[in-house]
Amino acid sequence: MRVLAILIDTGRELLYRKTILVYFGVVTLVLLAFALLLRTDVVDGVIASMSVAGLEASTSRGAFRLGEGGAETGLAGLSAQDFVRYVQLGAAFTLYPLAILMSIFATASLVPRMLEKGAIDLLLSKPIGRPALFASRYLGALLVATANLLYLTCGLGAILALKTGVWNGGFIWSGLVMSLYFACLLAFVVLAGVLLRSTTVSVMLTAVVFFTSLIVRLPHANQDWPLLISGRIARFVTVGIVETLFHTLPRTYDFVQAAVALIRHEGGLQWGAVLGSALSGAGALGLAIIYFSRRDY
Amino acid sequence: MARGGVVALKGLDLVVPRGQTFGLLGPNGAGKTTLVKLLLGIAFPTAGKASVLGRPIGDVPTRRLVGYLPENHRYPAHLTGEQVLHHFGRLSGLRRPERSRRVDALLKRVRMDEWRSVRVHKYSKGMMQRLGMAQAILNEPDLLILDEPTDGVDPIGRREIRDLLLEQKARGATIFLNSHLLSEVERLCDRVAILNEGALLREGSVADLTRPQSAWQIEVRSTASGAIEAACRRVPGAGVVEGRAQGAGPAESRVQGASAAERRVQVLGDAAALNALIDALRAQQVEILAVTPRRDSLEDVFVRVLHEGEAA
Repeated sequence: MRVLAILIDTGRELLYRKTILVYFGVVTLVLLAFALLLRTDVVDGVIASMSVAGLEASTSRGAFRLGEGGAETGLAGLSAQDFVRYVQLGAAFTLYPLAILMSIFATASLVPRMLEKGAIDLLLSKPIGRPALFASRYLGALLVATANLLYLTCGLGAILALKTGVWNGGFIWSGLVMSLYFACLLAFVVLAGVLLRSTTVSVMLTAVVFFTSLIVRLPHANQDWPLLISGRIARFVTVGIVETLFHTLPRTYDFVQAAVALIRHEGGLQWGAVLGSALSGAGALGLAIIYFSRRDY
Repeated sequence: MARGGVVALKGLDLVVPRGQTFGLLGPNGAGKTTLVKLLLGIAFPTAGKASVLGRPIGDVPTRRLVGYLPENHRYPAHLTGEQVLHHFGRLSGLRRPERSRRVDALLKRVRMDEWRSVRVHKYSKGMMQRLGMAQAILNEPDLLILDEPTDGVDPIGRREIRDLLLEQKARGATIFLNSHLLSEVERLCDRVAILNEGALLREGSVADLTRPQSAWQIEVRSTASGAIEAACRRVPGAGVVEGRAQGAGPAESRVQGASAAERRVQVLGDAAALNALIDALRAQQVEILAVTPRRDSLEDVFVRVLHEGEAA
């Protein structure tokens, strides 16, 4: 019941902040647009005709067009399956980053606000252990963000399935993979929050984690770059730093690749990258919990 | 307990018997809040040990039996008053039907029923304190720890909080009170401790600390100039107390057409000294209006103990 209390309160706090609601509103608009404006006619798994807001869709000169004589040119045999995957990829590339960004902004203040004088005293006086208190706060934020991602993936997946008859389970899985990615980032957010007690700095540090994870992937993937550094010690240290960062930070690029692969049903999930990121997130969360559990407030 | 080179508490040995109302006094920075935080597991001692309700400090299940109102408490701004109570009730392990019953009753008891659906960021300081009190006693705790419960509360609100605490005392709860308002502590507490710079300076029952000293105060009136002073000079340890007697009328008043001065005199010593002064006063035709044994207020005791501590 005590964990439930923290989960409920975290959900309420996130909804109160409006950031999550903005994202929810954007996704709802997208879903409504697809539900109300898209018309498809699928024959034998191929899109025979399609209109968006009454405008006929066509492909001509290699481009997707609306309202330019679609009846004559048609959709060049575009399969319903491909159409669904393209739409879902588009949604993933635009709405997943938005979801992650909004969720980070919304959740970055959770820990600093909890640690404010007068608030933390009360919480710690209640019969709930510090690790459970902190982990519940983390879990609450993760559940809200995951619910938002699943709202997008399940909603859009269901609408497209109704319109085309094609259900792409990979899209749902991609949403869950992005939730896992958010879980890893959130662990760094709460770690920064408990160490520095600042919402702004937490967001900034999370941005640093995000970009650093993208940057260090390039030298990690390129085996020859260390040869550019002449000094042996400097080379050793630099390679050490790059590899440490690569293996200890969530692997943003690999998560994006995994989401794309799941949506397109191409290749398997890179479990090594996913598990490595999960471990780094778990490490950050563990550090945050240990620090929180031992500190005087 | 020491942190960063600052010793917050040192050599503190204190027992609060069950069912008593205990007041912890001390100037700012004396270590009062630190002591409370140690008892509740909010901060950790660097040395020493303590127990709450027979269990070592930091024992999580024991906190189910404890109610706490911190100084400058802050509730989540997104919650209404009713939601705050439900939230902390859930955290205390109260189940729904019982929790709802208590929340409804307490909101009425602290006169916050009409504000139950309003978010707490719109509450005044006094309303926050009343809600805080409701939160602290929601789980009907065996031990109630209050840090400046009447801080920022108007006199009527203070009286309401005092009544609420007396109810808790009557229920059998042990109350641990941190307060700067010594008059409140004096009215409510059975025992007090005075803390300064982390050390315990004095501890005892309020009655003992403020017990009558071997001194008497006499309110007198005389129309003869210098008669009161003359009587005082005859008795060792007697003297005129500066200022007018409390509750007395105008210092100069007309009695039977003459000018009468009402004064308060004091004599140190036992009943014999008192009677000697009365005899001396009567010999000077001074009227005796009232005789009272001298009793220190808790504030007097507090100031004296602090000065003694600083001098030592």
